[in-house]
Amino acid sequence: MGDRSAAGGGSNRPAWLQQYDLLGKIGEGTYGLVFLARSKLQSNLDKSIAIKKFKQSKDGDGVSPTAIREIMLLREISNENVVKLVNVHINHADMSLYLAFDYAEHDLYEVIRHHRERVNQSINQYTVKSLLWQLLNGLNYLHSNWIIHRDLKPSNILVMGDGDEQGVVKIADFGLARVYQAPLKPLSENGVVVTIWYRAPELLLGAKHYTSAVDMWAVGCIFAELLTLRPLFQGIEVKANPNPFQLDQLDKIFKVLGHPTQEKWPTLVHLPHWQSDQQHIQGHKYDSPGLHSYVNLPPKSVGYSLLSKMLEYDPRKRITASQALEHEYFRTDPLPGRNSLVSCQPGEKTVNYPARPVDVTTDFEGTTNVQPHPMSSGHAMANNASAASLVSTRPVARSQLPLVGMPRLPNLHGGISGYNIPPHGPGMAGLNPTNIPIQRGGGQAHSQQQLRRKDSGSGIQNSGYTLQQKSRRF
Amino acid sequence: MADFQSSTQRKNWIFSSDQLLEKRTAANQRAVLTLQKYGATRLEVDLDGSVKYPFPLLDSMENGERHSLPKHLNCSEEQLMRVFYEHKIQEVCLAFRFPHKIQGSAILYFKRFYLQWSVMEHHPKHIMLTCIYASCKVEENHVSAEELGKGIQQDHQVILNNEMLVLQSMKFDLIVYAPYRSIEGFVDDMEDSFQVGNDQLHKFQELKEMAKLEVDKSMLTDAPLLFPPGQLTLAALRRSNDAHGGVIDFQRYLEIILSREQSPHTISELIVSLNAIDALVSKLKIPSMKEMRHIDRKLTNCSDPSSHDESKKREKRSKHKSKKTHGKSTK
Repeated sequence: MGDRSAAGGGSNRPAWLQQYDLLGKIGEGTYGLVFLARSKLQSNLDKSIAIKKFKQSKDGDGVSPTAIREIMLLREISNENVVKLVNVHINHADMSLYLAFDYAEHDLYEVIRHHRERVNQSINQYTVKSLLWQLLNGLNYLHSNWIIHRDLKPSNILVMGDGDEQGVVKIADFGLARVYQAPLKPLSENGVVVTIWYRAPELLLGAKHYTSAVDMWAVGCIFAELLTLRPLFQGIEVKANPNPFQLDQLDKIFKVLGHPTQEKWPTLVHLPHWQSDQQHIQGHKYDSPGLHSYVNLPPKSVGYSLLSKMLEYDPRKRITASQALEHEYFRTDPLPGRNSLVSCQPGEKTVNYPARPVDVTTDFEGTTNVQPHPMSSGHAMANNASAASLVSTRPVARSQLPLVGMPRLPNLHGGISGYNIPPHGPGMAGLNPTNIPIQRGGGQAHSQQQLRRKDSGSGIQNSGYTLQQKSRRF
Repeated sequence: MADFQSSTQRKNWIFSSDQLLEKRTAANQRAVLTLQKYGATRLEVDLDGSVKYPFPLLDSMENGERHSLPKHLNCSEEQLMRVFYEHKIQEVCLAFRFPHKIQGSAILYFKRFYLQWSVMEHHPKHIMLTCIYASCKVEENHVSAEELGKGIQQDHQVILNNEMLVLQSMKFDLIVYAPYRSIEGFVDDMEDSFQVGNDQLHKFQELKEMAKLEVDKSMLTDAPLLFPPGQLTLAALRRSNDAHGGVIDFQRYLEIILSREQSPHTISELIVSLNAIDALVSKLKIPSMKEMRHIDRKLTNCSDPSSHDESKKREKRSKHKSKKTHGKSTK
């Protein structure tokens, strides 16, 4: 309480900052910045931590709703394949929130790019299958807890680096995730624009409500991208407000999958854009579905079978996460494993993925210093030019104010299953309940620093912890 | 989330009645100590959620200005005060036509907050508004602080001033299971279980409507901090069923759901819980304005004896944030 350090001199750093060695900035988005830090606490000594700083909301309306939503969801969930929130800090100086996560060295965006640009070779089958299985496992957990992620894309799928969780997938970035006890309105109604390449066709056609099937479409797109190293449907985004019709994105989908028909997708005719834009959408006819040739899979293979079920037009027929986990693809060799990056089978070559670049010129408040901080370790400097060019294009997530209650789906939630002897929860710690204790014991000793190397070409955009969509032309 | 079992509500916010008593006594005693030390109990809250104690009493004591300390609230007066403002939350939410869920979450936030603080430290009127505001944010029914403040003629700055403190005090455990939603579920289930014909449906509609009012009552008691929401719902439905002369055989319905869930608990255990909830509801007394006046005067005296200085400080503090309302604060 009242632990505000003396103001003046502009250096009233919050006390909790002392728990960390700040190494630098690793990502940026409209919500704020992501830093890499190392824990100085005895219990977690030298453990790498990613700290996501949320800017305070600009419109003078208190704490950022995106931050609140991300924290409250992460507080409720716990799964090996979902990123772990270890602490929440408040910077008293500017009322911003800092979320501390276990640090993940890699993400699928960088893994795919490394293969495309450096290795010049596709990702081995074992790795693709293990990554996909774990992604589905995390998603199945979320969906069975009635959470839709809504913004799955390669840069939000993290992969742990060296340590006892090496090669484990972590789904990240829950700023847009929602609990769907009640029907969810389209994000566009909240003035939010997300990546269109992974957006499901029903949303592109103006469906009014989200279902968990939108996440499965994105998984299908990511699966294809892991196979080919290129985004499957790389449409050109129409930038307009509110909720512009993304014709080019749909066109890209139709070209590969063929035109949707009412026989295959009965509710198609009810979708707003399908009805209103007959000339453009219904006019185009693509009849040679070429998905298998596009992803280079034999049409009879189990991999193709699973992929095509994820990219099913009708969201009601699209495979669910739990069904996908049971698919034959995961029962045939090579079987998926926990360490997706290192196969236990002999003979498989292990790829060394580069460490995330760190921009050491930005401090915790997000101010860029002309002179870099003296570093406490031998960290490679990131490419400054690219750090400076980080410009976000995504509008701030904000909700509007519909005062009308949404219809509720009746269920027995919290019902009789809640009949129980009340558990005697731990009391609040003293008068300052802010610090959510770090729950995981036994910090693994990360020795990433030795592996860290200069990745001069990469810069730091899209470094996994970002939300922004930079132009990615290949 | 669908799973109350793994929720933070079950893990962190369901207590025994002894624990509730302990926490509230501790908060009350801390405020009393503050009063003795500083001559006032009100804590100042900064925008960032940090809390400051009033100026030490020493100076004024030395000057001989103060001879006796103002009287402080006891635990039962604090309790009355909380019930009064929890009821106010319901009234405000009704006036704004917010869905039940918002009202339910706001009341639970308020209850959780005052497990850690005394009403003498943070005025419940302010905390009430901030809880409604936070609940709207969480339930995606975003209303700006300004709009909320305007609707009830209160300075919206106090809402924002306390927001971080409220979120912090709840450890950011913001997903709340209120007993409203499951009313629908249980009633649908009753209709199925007892194979109700169409001619009977209106009775179940009445059962449902009254159960909502019964849940409203139980939200004003300690029950939401003691029992899982499903039990609050069942207790409300049972009271509603009794009032309607027994639309269904409730005991049998309880047996049906217990056997279906393969619950490790017995029907008698469940009935003990429902009875305990009923007892809390029957003891509920919403204090009238008149009763409140006495307690409120006491609160003003002990929390803010030098309210004159206070308002000056507050003005200074909110200067950088609220340009619009500056100078027309309703405080």
